[in-house]
Amino acid sequence: MPWQNVMSLIFKLSWRNLFHDRLRFVATVIGIVFSIVLVTVQMGLFLSFERMVTAMIDRASADLWIVPRDAKCFEDPSFVDERERFRALSINGVAEALPIVIGFAQWRLPSGGTTPVFIVSSDTRVGGLRPWNVVEGNLADLAVPGAVAIDQSYFDRLGTTGLGARAEIRDQKVEVMAVTKGIRAFTTTPYVFTSLDQARAFVGTPPNKTTYFLVRLVPGANVQSTRSQLRAVLSESEVLTPDEFRRRSRSFWLFGTGAGAALFAGALLGMIVGTVVVAQTLYSSTKDHLNEFATLRAIGSSAKYIHKVIIFQALLSAVIGFCIAAGIGLIIVDATAESALPVIMTPMMTLGLLLLTIIMCVMSATSAIVKVMRIDPAMVFTR
Amino acid sequence: MTKIVAEAVDVVKTLGHGAGKVQALRGVSLALAGGELALLMGPSGSGKTTLLSILGCILSPTSGTVRVCGQSTANMQPEDMAQVRRDHVGFIFQSYHLFPTLTAADNVRVALDVRGERSRSAIGKTKEALATVGLGRKMKSFPRELSGGEQQRVAIARAIVGNPSVILADEPTSALDSENGQAIMTVLAQIAREQSRGVLVVTHDPRIFPFANRIIRIEDGRIVGEEKGRAGLS
Repeated sequence: MPWQNVMSLIFKLSWRNLFHDRLRFVATVIGIVFSIVLVTVQMGLFLSFERMVTAMIDRASADLWIVPRDAKCFEDPSFVDERERFRALSINGVAEALPIVIGFAQWRLPSGGTTPVFIVSSDTRVGGLRPWNVVEGNLADLAVPGAVAIDQSYFDRLGTTGLGARAEIRDQKVEVMAVTKGIRAFTTTPYVFTSLDQARAFVGTPPNKTTYFLVRLVPGANVQSTRSQLRAVLSESEVLTPDEFRRRSRSFWLFGTGAGAALFAGALLGMIVGTVVVAQTLYSSTKDHLNEFATLRAIGSSAKYIHKVIIFQALLSAVIGFCIAAGIGLIIVDATAESALPVIMTPMMTLGLLLLTIIMCVMSATSAIVKVMRIDPAMVFTR
Repeated sequence: MTKIVAEAVDVVKTLGHGAGKVQALRGVSLALAGGELALLMGPSGSGKTTLLSILGCILSPTSGTVRVCGQSTANMQPEDMAQVRRDHVGFIFQSYHLFPTLTAADNVRVALDVRGERSRSAIGKTKEALATVGLGRKMKSFPRELSGGEQQRVAIARAIVGNPSVILADEPTSALDSENGQAIMTVLAQIAREQSRGVLVVTHDPRIFPFANRIIRIEDGRIVGEEKGRAGLS
């Protein structure tokens, strides 16, 4: 094709140098793919974990949260006194302050043993934080004494068969009146949704205590100004925006527990492995083609021209390696979609990984460039 | 008056450091004129290749002056030296130094590519250079598909495609049989004569004497003799 004739030879030289030794090229691509798949999985788990730890906060329709002082995360079962609710309601702009009770309890299995569950409750009449993705049963039935909602992914764990199944929580009989899909807990302890009064009984919260108040403002009320007023009257608790509560929960679970650091460490390890593999291959390829680079230098090529050849080699490796890694990443996403902690790939993350791969490969080219910079073009006379 | 295309004046070159220090050139002066084919002869270690490298702006002299097409190379940085090579010098090497993964045409075009010449005229110049060395029909052949003589002709085409004033050849016939050696020298002599380029050939090969206008002898880093070649006499 005519357009090929006028294309710079930089690309052709890079491509041919790269494919000249197919085995080495395959080794490079495997290194990049391994590295990027590892980073994809670690970052995908990080994203998934990040979403899961804030799922309850995301689903609650709150303008502000009244939380126990120094609450670390949503799952921190401290208490707020009911009087705080009335103090909150006395502030202009506050429409509702809905109590939320959470806490750990024991679910008695039909086989006789017990398994821990995490109770989540709000007023079933006005809502606030009710289960979502209900696939069987009716949310209104949660007002019935003993009614609970569980996720279908925990049927085996809870020893139930689904809607209508019976069990006991803290020696009180319960019946599954609603079944959800996809409400998974990152702690592996199943969520059990129920009414406020039952939740108090299940987790042992005194009647004058609650875990959180979910504050809804009257239309047009200023969030920051109302929050300041609430802070002034609430002596025993903190007032957080949903974003602040999310950040606090994420910070605790991802960094307070070390889980996030472990995921980041895995991703970093993947990047280091990839960088070393690509650097080693580019260096050895450059060394093999040193004579050619010296010839280029002798016939007058600028250092920039030679650097471009090496960087193109790195970019080609990056793009080919990334495409394969992204394909494997999508397979992993699909395979883990129904698991307790699915790997997530977002378009932004994919774009970020492409940039990361390119940066990693170009950085890897440094050692090869340093080698080329030391070439003495006079070597063409001695070989 | 014949134009001087490359000139060395009282050039000294010291190689190595400390105990390994060697004075490869000891005050060499040499001028190469356009249209001339000169042979540089001497025993191994006499400084032939060092002088070729200095005239070709690959090495800088320790002292003395080098001018290529009137341009002094004094105090030039490596990138400036590369620019001089790009603009004025064509190299031909003993072992060809072709790119094994590129076709003959691309091997020639690379000399234009490094100069940033990527227009369609680059294709025309490439074809013309290959035709000049008699390889117009082998443009798409890879070096492994060419004989030694043909590979050296591709190297000559690469050296002349950028239209340099100076062609420097390092033992261009030593890896070739007599017939191919004669053919290569015929091409080089023709390039010097018809295109007014200065061609300096480092050689040990007495079979190529008939092609020279001038034969320069170097020993122990000094020019020890100069004589007119048969082509110079005719």
